[in-house]
Amino acid sequence: MTLKVAVVGCGKIADGHVEEIQKLGDAARVVAVVDRELLMAEQLASRYGLPGFYDDLDRMLAIERPDVVHITTPPQSHLAIGVRALDAGAHVYVEKPLTLCYADSRALVLHALGAGKKLTIGYSYYFDPPLAELRELFARGEIGEPVHAESFLGYGLAGPFGKALLGDANHWVHGLPGKLFHNNLDHLLYKLPELLPDDRPDGEVFADPIGDVRISAQGFVRRTARFGDVRDAMMDELRVTLTGSRSSAFVWFSSHVKPIVHTTRVYGTRSSALVNHTARTITLESQSALPSALGRLAPAFDQGLQHLRQGGVNAMRFAHNDFHFFTGMNRLFSAFYDSIERDGPPPIPYRHLLRIAGWMDEIWRQVPQTEVAR
Amino acid sequence: MKVLVTGATGFLGAALVCRLLARGETDVRCLVRTGSDRSKLEAIAREATGSTVELFVGSIDSSASAARAIEGVDVVYHLAASLAGAPADMFLNVVVASKHLLDAIVAAARPIKVVLVSSFGVYGTADLAAGAVVDESTPLEPHPERRDIYSQAKLRQERLFREVQAKHGFPLVVLRPGVIYGRGGSRLSARVGLDLAGVFLSLGGSNLLPLTYVESCADAIVIAGQSPVAVGQTYNVVDDDLVTADEYLARYRRDVQRLTVVPVPYPALRAVSAAVQAYSRWSKGQLPAVFTPYKTRTMWKGTRFSNAKLKGLGWRPLVPTTEGLGRAFAFHKAAIGA
Repeated sequence: MTLKVAVVGCGKIADGHVEEIQKLGDAARVVAVVDRELLMAEQLASRYGLPGFYDDLDRMLAIERPDVVHITTPPQSHLAIGVRALDAGAHVYVEKPLTLCYADSRALVLHALGAGKKLTIGYSYYFDPPLAELRELFARGEIGEPVHAESFLGYGLAGPFGKALLGDANHWVHGLPGKLFHNNLDHLLYKLPELLPDDRPDGEVFADPIGDVRISAQGFVRRTARFGDVRDAMMDELRVTLTGSRSSAFVWFSSHVKPIVHTTRVYGTRSSALVNHTARTITLESQSALPSALGRLAPAFDQGLQHLRQGGVNAMRFAHNDFHFFTGMNRLFSAFYDSIERDGPPPIPYRHLLRIAGWMDEIWRQVPQTEVAR
Repeated sequence: MKVLVTGATGFLGAALVCRLLARGETDVRCLVRTGSDRSKLEAIAREATGSTVELFVGSIDSSASAARAIEGVDVVYHLAASLAGAPADMFLNVVVASKHLLDAIVAAARPIKVVLVSSFGVYGTADLAAGAVVDESTPLEPHPERRDIYSQAKLRQERLFREVQAKHGFPLVVLRPGVIYGRGGSRLSARVGLDLAGVFLSLGGSNLLPLTYVESCADAIVIAGQSPVAVGQTYNVVDDDLVTADEYLARYRRDVQRLTVVPVPYPALRAVSAAVQAYSRWSKGQLPAVFTPYKTRTMWKGTRFSNAKLKGLGWRPLVPTTEGLGRAFAFHKAAIGA
């Protein structure tokens, strides 16, 4: 069966959604797009040859009766749109962050469960090949038990999105509790729940999301003020430590480092692994079995060989058209649609996404950015 | 009479403000966004004796803010647009922002004249014969989806203005400039070629460039904006004595900087475009279709350009192309050396 998909919100990321859905062949097709500004819906439909475009969500839901609704609007509207889509009988995919806070996220998950529909979130890098390989390494015991993880994300404000939010004091990012961090922190945190084992591992979806994880967060503004309004107050550097009962993590977001870094490093009881999400590589570091100077000589060659091998793997992926920018998103869509077709569990456990929503609430509590857009 | 200039802090916008003053306007409101560089406009305002140049901090991000910007205004010169960025941003900044402006104009208590600065990019030239003349009667692009995002956005913007004008009847003048160049402008238009990792692919060859020197272009906009006979009309803006892409590039290399140039003849470019498009389709967009046969025919097939209609209004280029290139290249050389 071909799933009928509607995309709500026709900003930048909607392009990626439509393109990746169109790559899935018969599994799904985009039947309509919606934006409260009809011109935006029209341009997306026109560029991708889509049959329907609307500026009224309820009208679209009534006419098109989509099987799945992708929500790519600003986060302030995710809960309301998600509820309406679920009530209309659609499964729902929400771009990150899920909602503005844990309470709203919990309400949305409860609504999905009550409606008997599936819900998932755009944790796209989680489905990129290197992170999938990292999970396989854990499963095979090659890393051992996780002891510590470091999750780094650089975010250049000179890019199109940075320019948009710095060019507009009323940009929706300035209305988020965590502002710039809020729109990006999921990418840092969703790699961690498996590395910070849950003290409620047996499916207690709505148990305390923080549990025994202790969180300490600091944030600051590194840019020079130049607007005299809410934009100058937007923090651009964040450091967070999360400490569990047997493992810990350090999360680091920066708008200033070059090159713009996106890595996850995991230290285990047997070896450590470094995932470079930009280069899509994963390399392992193990204790050298060689003695003295030889033990110091060999690791550089070992690392070089691993990078060479990873380069070859990526070249093969490129040759087989499997090296797209949104590879992870594409795989997540497939997994979500598959879970709908087979009535299996959604690709991202609800406990997982609710823990992250809870962690984010705590981080915003510790790093308040109270100046908001008008 | 009060005139409003949107996009006033831009390359063309600042030149337009100067020409408005030179042609007798005495009350010019410049719409500037918070945080934008206003130094050029502040300098113009300081030197504008006997005239008012108001720097109005605002935007057309909403109909309400656009309404504030046009309060008391008789003529709007609408230049504000994005030249690059993600497709959604481009439509938002070019088309949706225009809609906000139009909402405000339609809701205004008195008629407001609109001078829209569109683009040569709206013409559908892919299927014209080589050597055909592009003038105001040339059909608009029939396949926007095959074109670059900027052209798509400008096409939709112009159509939006015409739709609203037809419904509400305000005075509208449309200008379609070619490649605007000058001090502070871009150095090498895509019509000349493309820099690829330090090697410049010369794509334009013997194609004429539809150049218009920034001050001459600004002057054309003002003349059309002030002319009663221009209402309801559309004008192309290109200068006289146009040069070919090869001539432009040769002089650029002589006067500005040395470049490693690889000439790509038109037949080879068409073959490469077909290959790039085929690969992009086959790989489902793993590499974007930067070149396609359609875009190549549009840009480099070898069209010529007419400014006869604009000259009918009495416009003449303020600066001959040879001199304009000299000024622009001197600026670029100094900027590179700085």
